[in-house]
Amino acid sequence: MLLKTNTKKLPVIGYVEKHTKKKMWKRIINERELWIISIILLVWVGIFAYYPMYGVIIAFKKYIPGQSFSQAQWVGLKYFIQFFNSNQFPLVIRNTLAISGLNLLFGFPAPIILALLINEVRRKYWKRFVQTVSYVPHFISWVVVASLIFSFLGNEGLVNTILQSLNITTKSVGFLNEGKYFWGMITAANIWKEAGWGSIIYLSAIAGIDEELYQAGAVDGLGRLGTVWHIILPGISGTIVLLWILGIGDILNAGFEQQLLLGNDLTRDYYEVIDTFAYKYGVQRGIYSYGTAVSLMKGVISVSLVFFTNWFTRKKLDIAAL
Amino acid sequence: MRNYYKEGPASKLFDVFNTIILALIVFLVVYPLWNQLAISFNNNNVAASRNIYFYPKAFTLTNYEFVFTNSSILEGAKVSFLRVIIGTAGTLLCTGLLAYITTIRNFSGRKFMRRVFVITMYFSGGLIPTYLLMVQLKLINTFWVYIVPNLINAYFMLLIASFIQNIPESMFEAARMDGASELQIYFKTVLPICIPVFSAVAVYAAVGHWNAWFDCMIYNADGKWDTLQIILRRLLLEQEAFQKIHNELIAASKFRNLTSEGLRAATTMIVTVPILCIYPFFQKYFISGITIGAVKG
Repeated sequence: MLLKTNTKKLPVIGYVEKHTKKKMWKRIINERELWIISIILLVWVGIFAYYPMYGVIIAFKKYIPGQSFSQAQWVGLKYFIQFFNSNQFPLVIRNTLAISGLNLLFGFPAPIILALLINEVRRKYWKRFVQTVSYVPHFISWVVVASLIFSFLGNEGLVNTILQSLNITTKSVGFLNEGKYFWGMITAANIWKEAGWGSIIYLSAIAGIDEELYQAGAVDGLGRLGTVWHIILPGISGTIVLLWILGIGDILNAGFEQQLLLGNDLTRDYYEVIDTFAYKYGVQRGIYSYGTAVSLMKGVISVSLVFFTNWFTRKKLDIAAL
Repeated sequence: MRNYYKEGPASKLFDVFNTIILALIVFLVVYPLWNQLAISFNNNNVAASRNIYFYPKAFTLTNYEFVFTNSSILEGAKVSFLRVIIGTAGTLLCTGLLAYITTIRNFSGRKFMRRVFVITMYFSGGLIPTYLLMVQLKLINTFWVYIVPNLINAYFMLLIASFIQNIPESMFEAARMDGASELQIYFKTVLPICIPVFSAVAVYAAVGHWNAWFDCMIYNADGKWDTLQIILRRLLLEQEAFQKIHNELIAASKFRNLTSEGLRAATTMIVTVPILCIYPFFQKYFISGITIGAVKG
């Protein structure tokens, strides 16, 4: 290493001797090109990433458009309390937890099961074909997905046409206009869109399982199902738990784009989640502080949930993500 | 993988069962798009040809004719393409440069730079402060609001840095010995070597830009910088938008029979087909991108 060290200190990569400022300055001047580039990058990240982080402070202030973030008047926890006491609070929380809950219940196992099924395929080309097709939906936008859903579930859409021609119903079912269908629809859409993409991680985890374990299992008399249950699942359990922890931490993120595209005034009572609520009041109605307070509250709870779940699984199962 | 277990009849039965299920899944993925394709080639004005399952009952190219000659849709396509190209190039250059800097072993600011950006992966100001920032920066109703805030992405930085670290240091040392500046090294040596990881990042970035609609909605409400996705969204949700687009050419008799479903289907296909064509070729790149990402956590 190019560090000049004295005999008292051990050379460590990146360690800069502190006892001579002159050496540090000399070093910086030596690396000035890199530092100039770095400063430009730091300015960028300061403006576009850190300044909005500072801007979160307006959750505690009464922000009026046109002011800078520092100018606004301090109001403390007023908007947080307002949110808790608002009559929409229970509804918003209910919808958020319901949609996230359904996503975890059905959407979490889906990529795992898909990965297991794909893994059992023997023919190479069929396997690759299924995989390639399965992640197509990940690459199309939610706007396109909404368009497809409208075509299927609309009043004159395919599903209604089939239901009527089979005489199961006489009138069109308002899949898109009645709140009670919303949760099922959005869960199904989420699975359709992301299960294939999610299976990639599990498939690569399965690929990482030591081959000797399979041999040992066969010697012990495990059949095909036994191999899955006793070798594959335990082998990817680390990945599963890690993603589960992140999933729980994400539980207040029940989606945003989907609701805005698939929902309408008739289904508002079922689709309004924390993020759309913050958007409605914060951006659409211009009550910036209120919206920011709601988002901040959600962010703090989410981070706490991740840490808590991580601690919990470390205690109980000895596995941790962080 | 080889089978180590015994192949019984139950196992063979499962293979059949598995193939059926996977075929069903493939069908479920492909059919909605196929159906939309059929609707887009159909003249939906005729009641008899309303229920399309696999093929158009009244074949017509009018929907597409309209889409390709309509000025607002063409403008949207132009904006979308520009955004993808400039945005992706910008992200690759800037994030790549950042990633390169964090891999220079003797650089004293290396860890600091890396940490500053990694923090942004976990914490952010959120929607409203970011929106207010754009207002303060006067980026509202401009094209650049699509590009500048997305120039650097910490996750991509980790991917690219991880890739560069696997390259023997000697390549860069040689250039450094020759007295090349770091920027020169970046452009002449690093960029050509990094083509595989840049391809992976390019796929993510390009798809992200192509599919983005929400930033257009909140920042560019004026409509001057509409992208294709936003136009499609309007067709989806606002009947008046369809009327407005339709009225422009209502005099021309050949477009009299357009319906909103047909027009929407054609626009949907146009928005989707470019992605479908490109992504199979870049598969191996973005899969390796995920696995590197998984290792880094």
